[in-house]
Amino acid sequence: MTEVSLRSLVKRYGKTEALKGISLNVRHGEFVSLLGPSGCGKSTTLKCIAGFEETSDGQILFDDRDISRKLPEDRDIGMVFQSYALFPHMTVAQNLAFGLEMRRLQKREITERVGRAMEMVQLTPYAERYPKALSGGQQQRVALARALVIEPKILLLDEPLANLDAKLRDEMRGFIRDLQKRVGITTIYVTHDQGEAMTMSDRVVVMFDGEIAQAAAPEDVYDKPASERVARFVGNANILELPVRTNDEAGVELGLPGGLSLTIQRPVPAANGTLGVMARPEQIALTDPAAGHLRGRISKRYFSGGHVEYHVETDLGPLVVLAPTSQSAKEGESVGLDFDASRLWPLPGRTGSAESRA
Amino acid sequence: MRRFRASLLILPAAALIFLFIVLPYVTVLVMSFRAPGANGEPYGPGFGLQGYAQFFDEGYYLWSLPQSLLLGIVTTFVCLVLAYPIALHIAGARRRWRGLLYGIVLSPLLIGIVIRSYGWTILLGNSGVINSTLRDLGLIQRPLPLMYNDFGVVLALSHVFLPFMVLPLLSALQSMDPAVKQAARSLGARPFTIFRRVTFPVSMPGVQTGCILVFVLAISSYVTPALVGGMRVKTTTLLVVDALIDQFQWPFGSAMALILAVSAGVIVLIFARLTAMKWN
Ligand SMILES: Nc1ncnc2c1ncn2[C@@H]1O[C@H](COP(=O)(O)OP(=O)(O)OP(=O)(O)O)[C@@H](O)[C@H]1O
Ligand SMILES: [Mg+2]
Repeated sequence: MTEVSLRSLVKRYGKTEALKGISLNVRHGEFVSLLGPSGCGKSTTLKCIAGFEETSDGQILFDDRDISRKLPEDRDIGMVFQSYALFPHMTVAQNLAFGLEMRRLQKREITERVGRAMEMVQLTPYAERYPKALSGGQQQRVALARALVIEPKILLLDEPLANLDAKLRDEMRGFIRDLQKRVGITTIYVTHDQGEAMTMSDRVVVMFDGEIAQAAAPEDVYDKPASERVARFVGNANILELPVRTNDEAGVELGLPGGLSLTIQRPVPAANGTLGVMARPEQIALTDPAAGHLRGRISKRYFSGGHVEYHVETDLGPLVVLAPTSQSAKEGESVGLDFDASRLWPLPGRTGSAESRA
Repeated sequence: MRRFRASLLILPAAALIFLFIVLPYVTVLVMSFRAPGANGEPYGPGFGLQGYAQFFDEGYYLWSLPQSLLLGIVTTFVCLVLAYPIALHIAGARRRWRGLLYGIVLSPLLIGIVIRSYGWTILLGNSGVINSTLRDLGLIQRPLPLMYNDFGVVLALSHVFLPFMVLPLLSALQSMDPAVKQAARSLGARPFTIFRRVTFPVSMPGVQTGCILVFVLAISSYVTPALVGGMRVKTTTLLVVDALIDQFQWPFGSAMALILAVSAGVIVLIFARLTAMKWN
């Protein structure tokens, strides 16, 4: 078990800075996801850790030992690629044995460990098959077993599920997660799918433009995003900009159209003038038109099995509401919206001050 | 019914193949079993095995066959050894350079085979560029035997057919997922091990195609051995042309041509068997 530390990691390609000083600690046995839009530097971070790219500045530590000058073949890393990157001319068993042969283990031990690894990913019946004769999910599991059989210090995965269909992807999510917990290996997982990052990780690291925007538990990234950009990238977000009526230790009172108000019972520093707050669609409830904090009209209704998504026109602009199917409303209907004030999240970036507005 | 109509589409191609490949082969086959002609006739009345008998009876002809095949094998090997680093280099080059390198490799094909072979005679001849330079420098007294021997022929053939080896190798190397090499590295393999255990075996389909192409082209070549070998390197193709055109003995020439074709076919089959890839 290994702890990984990135210290002010910088990677430049010519003039472009792909990584602008990344600092991150991944604990023993932790499952951390790097989440972000295309081109934000997720793969670059992984390649630097694996050693396929040289870092321009900063350090990479495995258990407090700087390995940034080590060759990839000496870093003792298990890596799973998006394309699986299996050796096409080797059988499943041979693919798994490769890394052990590089370590010059005895034939008997290799056979034994390969056997155990194949059992672990339920591929024993396919030992003598070539990769071409395997399904995408099976190839994925071979790639996973090949990376794990060498008992590496850390496991790196770069969008390993991107080439699978939706159903298999869900299945593999759970499979990888369970396996990781069972093996207890420190894992860094790259994805641009927020659902994947949320369900699998102990911690999610949201990246934009070569920088870390937030590193926190999935619940915290979802409920307490560090910025509007994080809020919008991680799931659906309603962002309201509301005038601040009062702000003291007890909390912030925000004004709503029609003289109503909302109180966040939590002090928000420097919240004067207006405050941006985020409400997730499921944190808003549909009520009677007369009740609730805000009035609106349903413009669109999307049924999706377990729940219904409503697009509601309000005086504060369009909002998205996710309601259980039991609570049904039609398109064009007038409704009231009720906010769960305890879960409204103030967005620091959106805080305006009275002076700057004047 | 649909199936039937769709299969009509291959009729033109089938007709072409029949007219220009099957028919000539059948003609050659039949001709090889005709009786030899007398009084300047290319062939005589009736059938016989004299064409084949003559080939196997006279060592002069018989020995040309292993000579030809060996020349083909050596040329193929030289091409493979020369072409592999070139293909590796081009596959690994930046996109900007790749087009240029591609052009350089293909450029020999733009010049006719006669002119290219003639070019080699200018270089390799007893009073050619190489020998006269070495003599002027005082490094040699007598010209080195660079031409009119197996060495010169293999050299020229390898040059002429190099592109046919580079191209399939290049296509095999380029279709290889670069992540495969990275995977090998992350598993602890060093560069040479990666080449030996991953890159080379994965490029085997290209090696196979390239070798078969070059071998078949080399053993059936006429112009290069004729010019650079100066009729002193007796390949079966040279003897076939001699029999057909100079001796005017069609059955004998046809028999030799068929023997060469069948031998080459057998060697290609053995090679394909030896290098068969179960994984592909
Ligand atoms: N070899 C390279 N040369 C130049 N620029 C590069 C190179 N590799 C990556 N970049 C740049 O670095 C930035 C980060 O790339 P990276 O591959 O890490 O993105 P990513 O987050 O993995 O995106 P994706 O989700 O599309 O894979 C991008 O702007 C990219 O253009
Ligand atoms: Mg990427």
